[in-house]
Amino acid sequence: MKIGLPRGLMYAKYHTFAKTFLEELGAEVVVSPPTNKKILDRGVRCCVDEACLPMKIFHGHVDWLKDRCDALLTPRLIGVRDKEYICPMFCGLIELISNNIPDLPPLIDAPVTSLEYGKLIKWAKQAGGFIQKDDTKIALAFDRARKAQQMEQIGYNEAGYPLKIALVGHVYNIYDQFINMNVKKKLNELGIGVMTYQQVDRGDIDAQIQTLFKKPFWTFAGEYYGASVYISKKGLADGILYLSSFSCGIDSVMTELIQSEIGDFPFMVLKLDEHTGEAGFDTRIEAFSDMLKRRCEFGRHLS
Amino acid sequence: MVVTFPNMGNVAIAAKTLCQGLALPYVMPETNNSKTLAVGSYYAPEEICLPFKLILGNFILAARQGADTMWITGSCGPCRFGEYCELAMRTLKKLGYRTDFVVADLSSDVGVKEFIRRIGTVAAASPVHPVEKLRALRLAYQVVELCDRLDAKAYERAGYEVHKGECRRLLHEYKTKVRKTESPEETMEVLQDYGRRLDAVPADKSKNPLNVSIIGEIFTIIDPFSNLYIEEKLMGYGVSSKRMLSPSWWVKNMIGKPFRLGSRDVYKASDPYLKYSVGGHGKECVGEAALAKAQGMDGAIQVFPLGCMPEVVAKSILPVIQEDKGIPIMTLIVDEVTGEAGYITRIEAFLDLLKGRRNQNQKASHPRAALNMRQFPSKGV
Ligand code: SF4
Ligand code: SF4
Repeated sequence: MKIGLPRGLMYAKYHTFAKTFLEELGAEVVVSPPTNKKILDRGVRCCVDEACLPMKIFHGHVDWLKDRCDALLTPRLIGVRDKEYICPMFCGLIELISNNIPDLPPLIDAPVTSLEYGKLIKWAKQAGGFIQKDDTKIALAFDRARKAQQMEQIGYNEAGYPLKIALVGHVYNIYDQFINMNVKKKLNELGIGVMTYQQVDRGDIDAQIQTLFKKPFWTFAGEYYGASVYISKKGLADGILYLSSFSCGIDSVMTELIQSEIGDFPFMVLKLDEHTGEAGFDTRIEAFSDMLKRRCEFGRHLS
Repeated sequence: MVVTFPNMGNVAIAAKTLCQGLALPYVMPETNNSKTLAVGSYYAPEEICLPFKLILGNFILAARQGADTMWITGSCGPCRFGEYCELAMRTLKKLGYRTDFVVADLSSDVGVKEFIRRIGTVAAASPVHPVEKLRALRLAYQVVELCDRLDAKAYERAGYEVHKGECRRLLHEYKTKVRKTESPEETMEVLQDYGRRLDAVPADKSKNPLNVSIIGEIFTIIDPFSNLYIEEKLMGYGVSSKRMLSPSWWVKNMIGKPFRLGSRDVYKASDPYLKYSVGGHGKECVGEAALAKAQGMDGAIQVFPLGCMPEVVAKSILPVIQEDKGIPIMTLIVDEVTGEAGYITRIEAFLDLLKGRRNQNQKASHPRAALNMRQFPSKGV
């Protein structure tokens, strides 16, 4: 059986788990190609206009896969921690694709509300049941997939550059080179090393979140906040670059909260959508890097 | 302690009643207008949704008049509304106002204890006897319920009125008066009086007006300024409109939900299309659209602010419902630059479409098909 795995949204974070799980169950996995212009165009064509870019791109991946597999693995990711969420759009993801894209193959869309073992194994049995009837085999595949995911290191922290920028934002913006126009390469060329916010420990993140009046109920958004504040306080990077999706409700709140907390620590928000032009994007990155360089020299004069 | 609260439909009137009952000083926000929006947008993050901009506008203007205790409802759904208080607090602090927020939030992650503590701080500031406090709370709820019922009555009867514009005039009159009353008792009197007056509006039962259901994001549809006065526009066209979402509905639904009461039929109707909650009131929107035809509606209009995530999900489902149930549904998206002219054109075109469909149906079926029309509105507030 061929199972399609769209290379969009949370694929960036959980692809190892998903691939291992499906393969251990005996399925043949078809992954859509890295995002490209064609996929974007397909997505823009079928998705509701008001949705954000990552959602549109996800539609493009699904559309690419729909005639190339027997079923699609598109879990409804409601949350990854108990009583917390990712984003309203994720809750309605299945409705979005099934109403926007005609002639879909069956969707393996069992909901995930938490990544905690007890809850996730239930999901595995539901989702895995589509491919494999034997529960013990599913449990085995699930365990292997979990181990593989735990071994996986997400993100990077480059050394050897005079300056460093921390990338913060949704994983599907940070790790999709098409969406972010290969921002890492651009920064490297300007002599700037890049770290991603996943380098900050969950414990350190949680400590920062405590200072909020109310704990954010969006798990990942909380991480962006906690990590940014921690990075600025400890000086782990010289500046923060927040890759945000245009018209993303989460980003509109989080960028504001971060900015109000970190004071004058260098912070730039780049908004991405299908109309973002590369030239303007480059200009802003260059301006930001110039500013960092000046700040850095100024700091050296002082000390 | 000087209390203030945002304009969220009739909530402001209820909150004012409560303050009067508790003998607490308060600042009544002006009904939302372009100034509220201008102030709010100036200080709010650019891409935040319209309701936040207006609420922030209310708060800043009230703070300038000395308010220091902000009442706001919160919710920890997956949507942004739950983050409003955090953002508003920081913004006011940045502007140099020392304010206290009382967030009416019943969800578990803030905790009932915390909620009681917050209510406690308000109750402690009130000089009146505890029995009076409870009475004030009850009165406030009665007021908001009455207001919502009056509104519904006016919107519905507008389709039947003999003298054009009468319902709209009464609606305006009562809204203006009720904001100026000085005691809960006086407020009740005004409301009851206008309830009687609306009942007495001469109605032509033989009229068979178009019926339209207003669905979408709750704040936008209960705040007339946000939706560019859509209900009043419909009244002007002699169309009856209905809207399920209202502050009193919200209270009833919130209390009823844990006991599986509340709007069960709506949730049930939404299940085949949208099984899971998507935050905000996306599920309600879908359920109402699915029920509209059976409720005798000719069409439904979905209204939501630009960038509203739950409603975007709902919007992508509505075409399927339109097809399944054979009921036209239109979506209007508003933001601070929505032009009135284009908005009106779209509403008029939609009403023309509904009229056209009616005529066709009547021709196609037996003349007595008109009996199918909705029951004439009942009396009594
Ligand atoms: S979090 Fe933002 S970018 Fe991600 S799906 Fe939701 S709205 Fe889109
Ligand atoms: S439901 Fe819509 S309007 Fe309300 S907070 Fe969420 S995005 Fe904003």
